[in-house]
Amino acid sequence: MKHIQTFPLHKKIKHGLASWSLIIPGLLLFTFFVWGPLLFALIMAFTRTQGFEIIGFVFLDNFKELFSLPAFSDALRNTFSYLGWSLLIGFIIPIIIGLLLAETVHLKGLFRIGIYLPSAIAGLTISILFTYLFDPSSTGFLNNVLKWMGLAPLKWLEDPNLVIPLIVITMTWRGAGATALIYLSALQQIDTNFYEAARIDGAGPLQRAWHITLPSILPSISVLFVLQIISVMQVFFEPFVMTHGGGADRSSLSLLLLSYQLAFTEGRADLSSAATIVLFSIIAILSLLYFLLVRAFRKKGYEV
Amino acid sequence: MKKRQEFYALRYKKDGILNFSDYRRLRYKILYGVMIALLFIFLLIAIFPLFYLFVQAFKTPAEMQSNIFNFWPKEFNLGKIIDAWQKTGMATYFINTIIVVIGVILCAIIFNGLLAYGIGVLKPRGSKFFYTLILGSYMIPAVLAIIPLFAMIAKMQLINTFVPLWFAFGANAFYFINFKNYFEKIPKELIEAMRIDGCGELTIFFKLILPLSKPIIGTIAIFATSAAWGDFLLPNLVLRDDSMFTLMVKLFSINATMGTVTGYTPDLLLMALLLSIIPQIAIFFVFQKQITGGSLDGGLKG
Repeated sequence: MKHIQTFPLHKKIKHGLASWSLIIPGLLLFTFFVWGPLLFALIMAFTRTQGFEIIGFVFLDNFKELFSLPAFSDALRNTFSYLGWSLLIGFIIPIIIGLLLAETVHLKGLFRIGIYLPSAIAGLTISILFTYLFDPSSTGFLNNVLKWMGLAPLKWLEDPNLVIPLIVITMTWRGAGATALIYLSALQQIDTNFYEAARIDGAGPLQRAWHITLPSILPSISVLFVLQIISVMQVFFEPFVMTHGGGADRSSLSLLLLSYQLAFTEGRADLSSAATIVLFSIIAILSLLYFLLVRAFRKKGYEV
Repeated sequence: MKKRQEFYALRYKKDGILNFSDYRRLRYKILYGVMIALLFIFLLIAIFPLFYLFVQAFKTPAEMQSNIFNFWPKEFNLGKIIDAWQKTGMATYFINTIIVVIGVILCAIIFNGLLAYGIGVLKPRGSKFFYTLILGSYMIPAVLAIIPLFAMIAKMQLINTFVPLWFAFGANAFYFINFKNYFEKIPKELIEAMRIDGCGELTIFFKLILPLSKPIIGTIAIFATSAAWGDFLLPNLVLRDDSMFTLMVKLFSINATMGTVTGYTPDLLLMALLLSIIPQIAIFFVFQKQITGGSLDGGLKG
């Protein structure tokens, strides 16, 4: 931008206006689609609404009412249950696949493309397909597999203890391949000389993995960890589709799904917004915690 | 000869935790076998549900009930495709989806591109604040506040139109960051030269920046296509009339209304699913280098 300084003032202003005129359309869209709705939710959460019209300020009443709903405690517990299962199932598998892909030299293309393939398919179609696979009737595919193995049939998505892990499995099935490729690219960037040096020093494979591989991919692990937390907390359309809105016993109802139902089946946009704000606050707190942790580790000289 | 090399590739493996010197020992050769076996298991898990969908979609309802473990239909009755296509009226939903996808690609490139050029290259005074704001919303996808968004769309009388679906992709922090990182690498001298020639910033953007950014535009277009094709939440809220449905909304509606009234049967649903998946898989195979190549900087999407 050095040249601008040589221009007279009115040219500078003209240049600034021209620049802003390129930026403003995008900013308007961000306002309408991202920031505006969040702000609107924040306002509605503290007001009484009729339809989506604000009719009065109620301070914390919506939150009090929300917290007293049995559906809310269910949704909150379920949301953390999704998170727990997702970290248990969905977090480790991509790391394992990434490592396997990085360490093998045979049939590279086949494994990479094949394992990525589910990620190329829309989440909705996959949810419907897996609902079909989890058919609880005697003609369902998985029940027949169980029968063939001599086991009793399961209720699958209708079983309140199974439904959340099964939904998490569906999400993992779709997402693992794409995440694995991110780990793969991190693993491939590791300098071979590090391994060579460790080998000369007599480090075995486990020591190499622990002292070289793990620290090298730790930044990827930590970023993907927090991104996964953020995305799983917002689980919505999987239970919406697979259990027709969280199941009659609310066993798979998530916070965002509750927020949706409060707005569209109960007609309570204010309560719905309060639920959205609660979810947003949880995500914000978890993200903040993550950044504080990362900063603390960086100060101590760990690259995370 | 190439096959042979591939077979003996372990002898030349220089990178990774285990290299050729480790693989001289039997225990690591066995470990390698285990790793390949695990990959085959993961591959099988990844492919099987899709294969099963393909097989089941071609079975007749009676065949579907009789033997679950029959992994090949009696015949590939192509009539079933046409039948499902007509019964579900797929043509309308395919056309709607394509209209949405085209609008989405244009919005994703033009709005995020202009924004990235303005904030990343022109940097007018005060734009840094908005840059921080956009980065801050990178972690929070719009879906979180989808209900107030719906209220705003309703207020603007845009329900049952494609407009909000197109423009929603014009505000995407992920695309924005990738455009910005790319534009920043374009030599400033080129921009200077055009300015001295008296070109306005908009002209520079369309005549210089965009033509120089074909790789990133292509990659964003592929990602936007795949995202818009599978987009469900907002379309499901916004699109009300069956004639406006996109494929995903229609699939959801078939799934939710299966039964005697609508005449939608499970095999019909599976065929409709298969038909909607085929273009996605086709896009993936055509562009798999761009999709899996990690050509995007912010390629961390959870």
